[in-house]
Amino acid sequence: MTFELIIPLLAATVQSGTPILYATLGEIITEKSGVLNLGVEGIMIVGALAGFIAAKFTGNPVLAFVLAGFAGCAAASIHGIVCLLFQGNQVVSGLALTILGTGFANYLGTSYVGQSAPGFSPYAIPYLVDIPGLGPILFNQDPLVYLTYFIPVLIWFYLFSTRHGLGVRAVGENPSAARAGGLSVSLYRWGAILGGGFFMGLGGAYLSLAYTHLWTNNMTAGRGWIAVALVIFAFWRPGRAVFGAYLFGGIMSLQLRLQAAGTQLPSSLLLMLPYLLTIIVLVFSSWKSGKSAAPAALGVNMKPTE
Amino acid sequence: MTTPAVRLQHISKSFGKVKANQDISLDIHKGRILALLGENGAGKSTLMSILAGQLQPDSGTIAIDGENMELSSTDKAISTGIGMVYQHFQLVDAMTVMENVFLGKAGSFLLDKKAMEEEVISLSRQYGMQMSPAKYIADLSMGEKQQVEILKLLHRRSNILIFDEPTAVLTPEEAKALFATMRSMADQGKAIVFISHKLEEVMTIADDIAVLRRGAVVDSMPKKSVSSTAELAERMVGREVLLKVDRIPMEPRQMVLKVENLSHQHLQDASLIVRQGEILGIVGVAGNGQKPLVEVVCGLQQPQQGEVQLLGKDWQDFFASRKWKNGLSYIPEDRQGLATCRGLTLLDNFLLTTRDGFSSGPWLQRQDARQKAEKLLHEFDIRPPDLDAFAWQLSGGNLQKMVLSREFYRQPHLIVAEQPTQGLDIAAMEDIWKLLLKAREEAGILLVTGDLTEALAVCDRLAVMYGGRIVDTFARSNQEKVDQIGQMMAGIS
Repeated sequence: MTFELIIPLLAATVQSGTPILYATLGEIITEKSGVLNLGVEGIMIVGALAGFIAAKFTGNPVLAFVLAGFAGCAAASIHGIVCLLFQGNQVVSGLALTILGTGFANYLGTSYVGQSAPGFSPYAIPYLVDIPGLGPILFNQDPLVYLTYFIPVLIWFYLFSTRHGLGVRAVGENPSAARAGGLSVSLYRWGAILGGGFFMGLGGAYLSLAYTHLWTNNMTAGRGWIAVALVIFAFWRPGRAVFGAYLFGGIMSLQLRLQAAGTQLPSSLLLMLPYLLTIIVLVFSSWKSGKSAAPAALGVNMKPTE
Repeated sequence: MTTPAVRLQHISKSFGKVKANQDISLDIHKGRILALLGENGAGKSTLMSILAGQLQPDSGTIAIDGENMELSSTDKAISTGIGMVYQHFQLVDAMTVMENVFLGKAGSFLLDKKAMEEEVISLSRQYGMQMSPAKYIADLSMGEKQQVEILKLLHRRSNILIFDEPTAVLTPEEAKALFATMRSMADQGKAIVFISHKLEEVMTIADDIAVLRRGAVVDSMPKKSVSSTAELAERMVGREVLLKVDRIPMEPRQMVLKVENLSHQHLQDASLIVRQGEILGIVGVAGNGQKPLVEVVCGLQQPQQGEVQLLGKDWQDFFASRKWKNGLSYIPEDRQGLATCRGLTLLDNFLLTTRDGFSSGPWLQRQDARQKAEKLLHEFDIRPPDLDAFAWQLSGGNLQKMVLSREFYRQPHLIVAEQPTQGLDIAAMEDIWKLLLKAREEAGILLVTGDLTEALAVCDRLAVMYGGRIVDTFARSNQEKVDQIGQMMAGIS
């Protein structure tokens, strides 16, 4: 492949990796506190629809993007109510949330299918875009992509260098130790569920506000599940999540380009590629990491009185 | 004396019918180490959980530095300056020493790693410990983990430190270091409570000693006034007669258990026999070799050295061809974990060990089992008398009676009962003693107990264990030996 082909492919890689990155970061925050949220897919699509409708009616994409985050919080709060308030099973609750969110968004979204709304467009950053190679890949993107150059660093800093972040990790690793230290396990977990839901909502909104400016049903198309797998691939570390997200972004855009180029391979096989990669990634990361990097109390509920 | 750091007055706490603490009054002083001595189930942990704010007393008052306080939560206790080093460490394995020490403490938004490191180092120096602040908990030894727990409390400026059986997980060297740290903390004005059932340790480190038995403080004195470990042992296990059960002498018949020169883990060269028609009591402070003995006899572990014969068969043969009836029944100490499944109904729990009696081919004859079990429920007066109730719904005493009824239904010829009345109220205790006495008509019974009153009430012969050895075996009627039990248990012979 020539240089002219690779640069646009890599630029597209960053763009398609971005929504996954938002969702993965959200899931990392949630899982760090010991809560497994399998509802990412459902929360993303609720965020996507909320962002789209808000942009359509307010005409303000920035406001729409933020509102999508709060829609994500609202969807995630269902998970919080089930798991924290009623001590329900986290796996079941997450799966139900995915099904609920998808159905809800399809139901409300059907009347908007094919319609467009104002969104974000690429904005080349002066000077930086002129860096040979890197410039056109990283600095000729929309503002929401630029945000993701900072967010992982902020989340990493939050988790590992602030007192509050230490509490989140403690609650995820050993809730009874955290309790003995005087932390409120359920408050921390609520925070992590809502904060995580916010980023998942943003990831969904990226799809309807920047990736396309259109609404189509099922527009998340399994990206939420990829995010869940990527958390494991990333060993629950925000930095590695960036690489993972771009790896998947790369496969997705490559697959699109191969289809467009008219290869002999059937398109359904190409569409499988990201999910095949998901399985391979999971096998490798669980095989390589002898001891698990997962928060020790992941998926374990704790009664407030215990 | 000055105002005590903590003054407990008339503390009582019951769980259902069981009185875990009855009218306990206790002073804890600054600069002194108070040892709380008692067997498992004597109420030590309940008392300390009350002080740590985890449990609320039914009655009684707690005064800290002369001021009455209500310790309504662990947070409240922590902020009052009470800190507890639990037996199970409350540490986050995936974090460093300093992160654990600083966990949960209010402070600045950002973590100042440099300052954290310095604080951990200076605190550990101050109390004679050595600790690398950046090490991960998962890489530490048990002794070091315990030091981290202590550092957590010191960092929170706890003035009253409670250690719950702190040496159980330590090597002797680590225990020595811990004692040095405890002494250094006391010298620097902290009040220390040390919970233990190990007599030597208490004699080594304590300034004051309080002895708990069956939920009450039976004795409280400065260490100076205790003349010997033996005296302490007797005070701890007691020998007053609470109840009298009729023990009709019986002629022992054939031998059902023979242990010869058995060495296993820290059990050394143990020999004993049990015959049909008698109860042999193994008495001693817990942790002196009773557990490996029971586990080998019950087939949970293979004997390493020596010979074990059950009902005339070798250990191998016996456990290879186990029959559900007329064999061995094991009544474990842990009735909720080993003996029953808390999430199954009584009927299913009944079938756990008797299922072979209700099988035809692959099928289970539940109706048949139901009728039999129903009868047992009434016969043993188990409440609620409902086979569909779950095991967790039963009180400790009723669950224990259910286990006994099930095991007796198998008409065993050998019964191994481990602390069968621990944590039960007096009425249930009496019931169980009567059941055991009745069972010996058919069986030989090995009764492991830490309660001398129990051993004296039901046993025909007694064997005293200390340090993994059987110190002596003698008849209950041998008064001279019975009088020496305290000394034997303390390792003085």
